[in-house]
Amino acid sequence: MSRSGPPIRRRLRALGMGMLMNAVALLFALPLLFMFASSFKSDTAIFKDLSSWTALLPAPDWSLANYRAVFDKSELPTFMLNSAIVAALTVVGGILVNSMLAFALARLRWKGRQAVLTLVLAMLVVPFEVIAIPLLSVVARLPWTAYAHGALVVRHGWFNSLQVQIVPFLANAFCVFLFYQFFRDIPSELDEAAKMDGAGPWTIYWRIIMPNSGPVIATAAIVLFLGAWNQYLWPAMVIQGAALRPVQPGIQQFFGRSNSWGQIMAYASIITLPVLAVFLACQRRFVASVMGSGIKG
Amino acid sequence: MAQITLNAVAKTYPGRPARQLFRDVSLDVGDGEFVVLVGPSGCGKSTLLRMIAGLEDISGGEIRIDGVRVDELAPVKRGLSMVFQNYALYGHMSVFENIAFGLRLNRTPRAEIERRVREAAELLQIGHLLERRPPQLSGGQRQRVAIGRAIVRAPRAFLFDEPLSNLDAALRADMRVEIARLHQRLGATMVYVTHDQVEAMTLADRIVVMGPNGVEQIGAPMRVYERPANVFVAGFIGSPKMNLFPARHDQEDRVAVGEATLPWRAAGSAAGSGAVTAGVRPEHLLLAADGPLRATLLLVERLGAESLLHLAVPGLAQALVASVKDAPPPEGSAVRLDVRPGRLHLFDAAGMRMAAAGDQAAQEKSGT
Amino acid sequence: MTFATSSGRDSAWSAALFAAPAMLLFLVFLLLPLIVAAGATFSNHRLVSPQPTEFVGLDNFRRLLSLQVVVIDPIADGAPRYPGWRAVRAAQPRLQGYREAFRLHWGRKRVVLAATDPLFYRSLVNTFRFAAMVMPLQCATALGLALLVNQKVRGRGFFRTVYFAPVVTSMVIVSIVWSFLLNTDRGMVNELLRAITGDGNAGPDWLGDPGYALPAIAVMSAWQGAGFQMLIILAGLQSISPELYEAATLMGANAWQRFVHVTLPGLRNTLIFVLLSTTIMAFGLFTQVDVMTAGGPLDSTTTVIYHAVRAGFREQDVGYGSTVALVFFVLVLAVSLLQRKLSSRGESV
Repeated sequence: MSRSGPPIRRRLRALGMGMLMNAVALLFALPLLFMFASSFKSDTAIFKDLSSWTALLPAPDWSLANYRAVFDKSELPTFMLNSAIVAALTVVGGILVNSMLAFALARLRWKGRQAVLTLVLAMLVVPFEVIAIPLLSVVARLPWTAYAHGALVVRHGWFNSLQVQIVPFLANAFCVFLFYQFFRDIPSELDEAAKMDGAGPWTIYWRIIMPNSGPVIATAAIVLFLGAWNQYLWPAMVIQGAALRPVQPGIQQFFGRSNSWGQIMAYASIITLPVLAVFLACQRRFVASVMGSGIKG
Repeated sequence: MAQITLNAVAKTYPGRPARQLFRDVSLDVGDGEFVVLVGPSGCGKSTLLRMIAGLEDISGGEIRIDGVRVDELAPVKRGLSMVFQNYALYGHMSVFENIAFGLRLNRTPRAEIERRVREAAELLQIGHLLERRPPQLSGGQRQRVAIGRAIVRAPRAFLFDEPLSNLDAALRADMRVEIARLHQRLGATMVYVTHDQVEAMTLADRIVVMGPNGVEQIGAPMRVYERPANVFVAGFIGSPKMNLFPARHDQEDRVAVGEATLPWRAAGSAAGSGAVTAGVRPEHLLLAADGPLRATLLLVERLGAESLLHLAVPGLAQALVASVKDAPPPEGSAVRLDVRPGRLHLFDAAGMRMAAAGDQAAQEKSGT
Repeated sequence: MTFATSSGRDSAWSAALFAAPAMLLFLVFLLLPLIVAAGATFSNHRLVSPQPTEFVGLDNFRRLLSLQVVVIDPIADGAPRYPGWRAVRAAQPRLQGYREAFRLHWGRKRVVLAATDPLFYRSLVNTFRFAAMVMPLQCATALGLALLVNQKVRGRGFFRTVYFAPVVTSMVIVSIVWSFLLNTDRGMVNELLRAITGDGNAGPDWLGDPGYALPAIAVMSAWQGAGFQMLIILAGLQSISPELYEAATLMGANAWQRFVHVTLPGLRNTLIFVLLSTTIMAFGLFTQVDVMTAGGPLDSTTTVIYHAVRAGFREQDVGYGSTVALVFFVLVLAVSLLQRKLSSRGESV
């Protein structure tokens, strides 16, 4: 598609295309650039710069004042810690649980395999919002053990806990699907060779299949991480009080209480950074698997 | 080393309609014997091998190793090793780990593992590759690692599933020799599957030819070559392919081919059998100035060591192929053909070989 | 440690061990709530309540869906004047409990659509309006982005990353940042408009004006989501064989003709998927509304899900909230089936 017309025309076309793409990139990056740039400016500086391009650039007298204020005024560190723990446990637990089910579906032969596979695919369609509210009812009645007065007791209700933010989201139909498709592409000769060597299902899963599943593990990790870190609706419903609150409801509350644009932008920058970092690190893999999974619908 | 016995083994794939792969396969593999299962793709040879290994269920019959019934046992309990077509190496482990894997699972002591792995590696000349990983190896090297993995477990018998199919021609020839030498050295019972009849002919103590009817023939390579049991085996074994063409056996001592006749006498006193299929291998179809068959030379394919002549014979729909070593006559010339005595095969209307009068003597002479 | 006993089938025990954790979690946290939701729609279940839950039959549905059409004649001739709703309701006992949802004009008469839950119907309309705005915007943008990124220019990986970056940013952050950008007096958008038009008063109250709030959220959502669909379309583009383009060029097709006759047909399945998934996601609009407008102004941004969450959670009426959510689910299913059917006409699936 690039051999159209004389060289000069081609050059101009490429130039024009480059400019267009850069313009669009600016458009897409604009809000985030604004967010980052504003986080280093005082409120007056922000308003001064608003009507020009300097809104997107840091001011010459930039400072970390907003960041300091955020750490002083809010319990951001606590929120970050909560989100980090929730995200980490969700990723690890989710990878384990979903890959195990996918292994059973892709590699083992058992009665009801087809039925379960259909069930998992059907669950892909259910939007979270539909079950969010009844899930509240379910979660209000689940037991959990805790240490109180030196003994193990059973408490009812999962509100205001870490597990309520983690456990309901470990089993993820999309991740199961990802693992299933990937496992199916691993040649079964590998399993058979291992069987000849005397390996049972768990050994095959843990020492043969999983070590060969780098790409899909990375993708599932990103999907689970993003889901956990960006969670808003659910924690807003089940967590009251700041002790176990994660970052998204945290910033929403800060947004409602604060008047300082600069501080809000600083807060936003802090909690967006991990996401962007993880994304940039794994973007190639992630892009590859999103592209590979959606074509036929 | 072990004896493997298959008794009336059958395989049917469930479903609607159920697909029966084969019905009644019986085979005795002797201790230390090298048996090759050969046939076109889809005939079930790999399936049969996998059934022996324990990777597939059997639908009927039984499999015994050293007299003990094994068809209910898990693969590892049968004491067999398998070498796969695509090597099936664990890409994330080193060559050493690949070979040692089975031993580790068996909780063999470390020193023992070291010893046995190095021994196997030496035997296969891959000792210098032990720290590398499969993706870094060539096809031939990977195949050796796969064989090493099979050897190190000291199995009762070896199973090979088309191990050379993924190698290029030159490498295949080399590896063929390696495997033959391995068999000599270890004296192991080996069951080998291939679709390449050259491998079958050169490696086997006995060949099992499998075709559309299950097992078509079992026998030593030369015997199968010289006395194919039916039309299928005749056309499958031997390269270039045997010429098979319709003929009529109306008189006791001759066969009508087109307008000519060739001598042929049945063993025992069978009167004429009517329409038959005749078979002559290209290497046994000779150019003879006074031969009974007249033909026109259509095309010459020069291969270097030999030439293939495509000949039109009046009365025959398809061309015959003759293989000659001397300089061929020019294309288009009229020639006369003869068949080397005793090398004309006749197959009845059902495709089964008809015993010829000289068979007994030939058998004794070649010792098959 | 061999689990398998017979060679062909793996033991049910080992399969169960592998599948059990995930299946158990699915059962408790997905299927159970679904069943509870279905059941709750027939009850007056509250989140925390001293009173036991009672079966109320179809009351929730009735409360949600009841709709009446009332035609009101004008009082006097000349300039039309109409009686207030309260008066109309008092005059007709069957309208007890109904409130105005929509008001239309038909000639000289006023037609009122009255419902027991007018907000539900308004949220339904809002949701459809939103989907109708977002879908073409997001999909067209995604298509444009994909076409751009598909060119063989240097740094296309960089551009692809930038275009995709909004997708990984949380919706809360996006909503907050855009709230600033859309601020009436000081937001960048209006500042830009003022600079361009030279009019010091230009720029509407994006989030405060009932006419502009939903479209503003639509543009923002399209911005956030376009990158995701871009990747899917990109995959579709790359699966079109370049030989088709070459053949078209040899036959004299220009860029536009190539687009229409090679690109679009080749993208058919992909585009269907993209349209479908965008619509379904659009129907679930919640977070942006919750963060930016709280359903207002004047309920113009209340969506079905926002209504459901507010009723079910903030007002603690789980039974009613579940009813709304379930109706939403049926709606989404129906729309996607319809879309599927419409787009597979003429296609041999």
